[in-house]
Amino acid sequence: MKLLTKAARFTVAASLAMPLAFAPAFAETSLTIAVKSDRYSVKSDKFTFTTRRPAAQIAEPAVRPDADFNPSPLLFSDWNYVEGVYTVTLQDGVTFSDGTPWNADTAIASFKQYDKNKSEFLQLDQESFTKLGDHQISFRSEVDSALVIENMTHRGTSLFLPSEDMAENPIGTGPYLLESYEPKQQITVVRNPDYWGEAPNVDRMTFRFIGDDNVRMLALQNGEVDVIGEVTPQMMLSMPKDGSVVLHESRPIRYAALMFNMQGKAPFDIASDVRVRKALAHAIDRATLAQVLWDGRGKPAKTILPGWMFNMGDDHAEGFSYDLSHANALLDEAGWTMGADGVREKDGRKLALRMVSAYPNVSTVKPMPEMLDQMFAAIGVDIENIEIEDSGVYYDNYFKTGEADIYLEYASNNNTDPTYLLYNVFTTMSPWGYAVTSPGGNVDELAAASRVAKSRDEVIELVRQAYRAVIDEHVSTIPVLTVPNFVLSRPGIDVKMSEYADWIEYGHTTFTN
Amino acid sequence: MLRFILVRLAAALPTLLGMSFVAFAIVALAPGDPVMMELRAMGIVPKPEDIAAIQAEYGLDKPFFARYFDWLGRAVRFEFGTSVATGRTVMAEIMIHLPATLALAISALLGAIVISLTLGSLAAMAGQFAGAGLRGVTVLLVSVPSFWLALLLIYIFVLRLGWARLVGDGSLSDLILPAVTLSLAVGAALGRMVYERIRSEMSEDYVRLAIAKGLGPMQILIGHIAPRIAGPLATAWANAFGGLLGGTVIVESIFGWPGLGQLILEAIAQRDFPVIQAYLVFMGLIFFVTSLIADLAVVLSDPQLRRRYSDE
Repeated sequence: MKLLTKAARFTVAASLAMPLAFAPAFAETSLTIAVKSDRYSVKSDKFTFTTRRPAAQIAEPAVRPDADFNPSPLLFSDWNYVEGVYTVTLQDGVTFSDGTPWNADTAIASFKQYDKNKSEFLQLDQESFTKLGDHQISFRSEVDSALVIENMTHRGTSLFLPSEDMAENPIGTGPYLLESYEPKQQITVVRNPDYWGEAPNVDRMTFRFIGDDNVRMLALQNGEVDVIGEVTPQMMLSMPKDGSVVLHESRPIRYAALMFNMQGKAPFDIASDVRVRKALAHAIDRATLAQVLWDGRGKPAKTILPGWMFNMGDDHAEGFSYDLSHANALLDEAGWTMGADGVREKDGRKLALRMVSAYPNVSTVKPMPEMLDQMFAAIGVDIENIEIEDSGVYYDNYFKTGEADIYLEYASNNNTDPTYLLYNVFTTMSPWGYAVTSPGGNVDELAAASRVAKSRDEVIELVRQAYRAVIDEHVSTIPVLTVPNFVLSRPGIDVKMSEYADWIEYGHTTFTN
Repeated sequence: MLRFILVRLAAALPTLLGMSFVAFAIVALAPGDPVMMELRAMGIVPKPEDIAAIQAEYGLDKPFFARYFDWLGRAVRFEFGTSVATGRTVMAEIMIHLPATLALAISALLGAIVISLTLGSLAAMAGQFAGAGLRGVTVLLVSVPSFWLALLLIYIFVLRLGWARLVGDGSLSDLILPAVTLSLAVGAALGRMVYERIRSEMSEDYVRLAIAKGLGPMQILIGHIAPRIAGPLATAWANAFGGLLGGTVIVESIFGWPGLGQLILEAIAQRDFPVIQAYLVFMGLIFFVTSLIADLAVVLSDPQLRRRYSDE
C-alpha cells in the first residue's frame, strides 16, 4: 500500500513537473526591433501596409532578389519573356494565410487587386492576363518593358488575396500573420504555422517605431529592444565598443557621391570645367572618410554600383585616387591660382563652391560634409557647406533651381533592374529631376539602349559603359564611398542581413545564447 | 454671463480666421512637393499624368485662394481630408493620438499645479535664506530645456535605477517620466507666479488685520490669500494647459509617447500637409478654448466681475 501511495505521489509530481521539463523546447522566441518611423498607408489606391519594411513579412512578391541581385523564384517558380509576352509557372503547394490556394485564378486576382491600387510601378497590361493552366499564366507589359520580373523583386509589389478589409486583415502567403497594429507605435506579427516555405526561427516580432536616433540606441542598451534598424553614422560613432552592442552588416550597397550641377549658370558655373571636377575628385581622401564614418565599415568607391551587383565587376570604372599634387596641377592648368588667403582665384573670382548635403537627409552622412570641406580647402577651394534635413526643401530650393555647384547624395540601386538607378538618376530623361546633374550625350544613349536590350547580359554591359562614362569621362558624379546596410543588436543575436533593406529577414534571426 | 461668452466668441472669429489662413498658407507655401515625395518614396517613376492625377486628388492644381476657401469650407465641419502618408482621415489620425497627448498634458498640469503651489507658498512663507534657495531652484527649473531634463531623468530613472521604461506603450506607468519632465518646468514657472502673488497679497491691509487678530500663517494663506489669488492662478493654469498640449512634441519624441507630437513630427517629415494644417488649427482652437475658460474662471472667482456680468 505504501508503495502504491509512493507511486501515485511520484506520478502526480511527474505530471506536474512535465510542463516545466518541456518548457525550454516550447519557449516562444520573440524579437523587438526598433525602426525609425511608421511609413504605412492603408489607403486603397496607395496601399503599402505591410508591403514595405519593417514588417514586410505578411505578403510576398512573385520573385525575390538572389545574392547577385538577379530575380530568383518565390511565388513564380519559372518565367520567360518572348516577343513581349511573359509566361510564368506558379509555385506549387503555396497557400494564402486563410487557406486559399495560390493558383492561376488567385494569382490573376491578386495582380488585378495590385493594379486596383493604381500603382504604376509594374506597368502590367491588366487585360492581358491569361490562364494557361492551373499553375501557369501569361501577361504583357503595358509599355513593352522587358524588366517587369526584375521590378517584381520590389517588396512593394507583394501580393494579397483580394478582400474588403485588407488594412485590418491582410491575407498574404508570407511567413507571418498580422497580430496587432498601433499606428506610429508598433506592429506585431506572429509566425504563420502553415507557411509554405522555410519556417522562420522567430515566433513573434514586434516592430517599435522610435523616431529619435539616440532613443533607439538607448532602448537597445537598456534591453527594451533587441535590434535597431536604420543606423546612422552618428549612432555608430556613439556605439559602445564593450561588446554590449553588436553590429551586423551586409556587403556594400549604398553609395555616397558628389553630383555636379552640369547646367550651372553663374555663379554656379565654376564646376562646368571638367578639370575643376577632376581636381575635387582627386582631393578626396576616401580612406580617411571610410575610417571615420560608419565605424570604418564603408569602402572607398571607384564607381556607383558595387562590383558584386549584377556581376558588374569592381573595375567597370577607374575612379579617382587621392592625389593632392595632381588635384593642384589640374586647378593650376585651369587657370585657378592660389590667393593669399588660401583660396584660389581666377580673373578676380574666388574658387568658391556651394555644396548641399541633403538627400535623403544630412544626418545620414554627417560628418562627411565637414570633412569634405576641409579636404577641398587643402587645394584652395572654398566650400559653402549647406546641410539640410528635409529633402523637400532640398529639391525646391537648391536642386530644382540649380542653385548649388555640388550635391552630396546617399542612395542605392534598390532594385534588381540594372537600368533603374542609371535611368532615373544619371540621365537627362530622369523623371525625378536629375537632368541638372546628368551629362546627357552618350550616357543618355547608353541608358536608353539598355532599356530595350534583348538580353540581361547586354543590358548589364550597356549599364557598365554608361557608369564608366558618367564617372571617368564626364566626371559628372564623383563616387566617394560604398556603404553596407547596418543593423545593431544586443549580444547573442545573429541577424540574417541583406543588401536589399526590405529583404532583411528578421524572422530568420538566430539566437546564440 | 451668456452675453460675455457670446462677445468673446464673436471677438475670436477674426482671430480664428486669421489663424486658419496662416495654418493653410504656412503649409501650402512651404518648399517640398508632397506629390513627388510620395511617388519617389513608393519607388514609382512618375509620368506627367500620374503627377497631374495626384495633384488633382489633393486639389493642388487649383489657385491658392480657391484651395484655401475649399479647405476652410471643409475645416469648419472638421473635415480636413485624408492623410497623404497613412491614408486614414485626418480626424481619425488626430483621434488616435489626441487621448495620449491629453493624458500627458493633464498629468503634467496636475503635477505643475502641485509643484507650483508647494514651491511658491514655501518660498513666500520661508525665511530669507530658505526662500532664496527655493527661488533659485525655481529659476533653475525654468531655465533647463525640457529635452535636457528628459535625458537627465532617463539617465537616472531608466538607465541607472531601472525604475521605468524608456519607450513605453502608452500605459499609465509610462506616463510618469514624460509628465514629470513637463511639469517640472511648467510648475517652476507657475511657482514664481504663486510666490509673487502671495508676496503681493501679504502687504495688503486684510492680511495685516488677520495677523493682528492672531491668525497663524497657514490659516491666513489658506483662508484669506488663497481665495484672492485663485482667479489669476486659474487663468495661468488654463494657459499652461494650452501650452502643454502644444508643447509636448519634444518630450513625446524622446519618450516615444504616442501623442500628437509624434504625429506632427512625422507629418512634417512626410509633407503630410492635411495633417499639418489640421494640427495647427487644432492647436489654435485649444488655445482659444483654454483662454476662454481662463476668462470665465476669472469672472467666476471675482465677486465684482461676477456681479457686473450677471447684471448685464
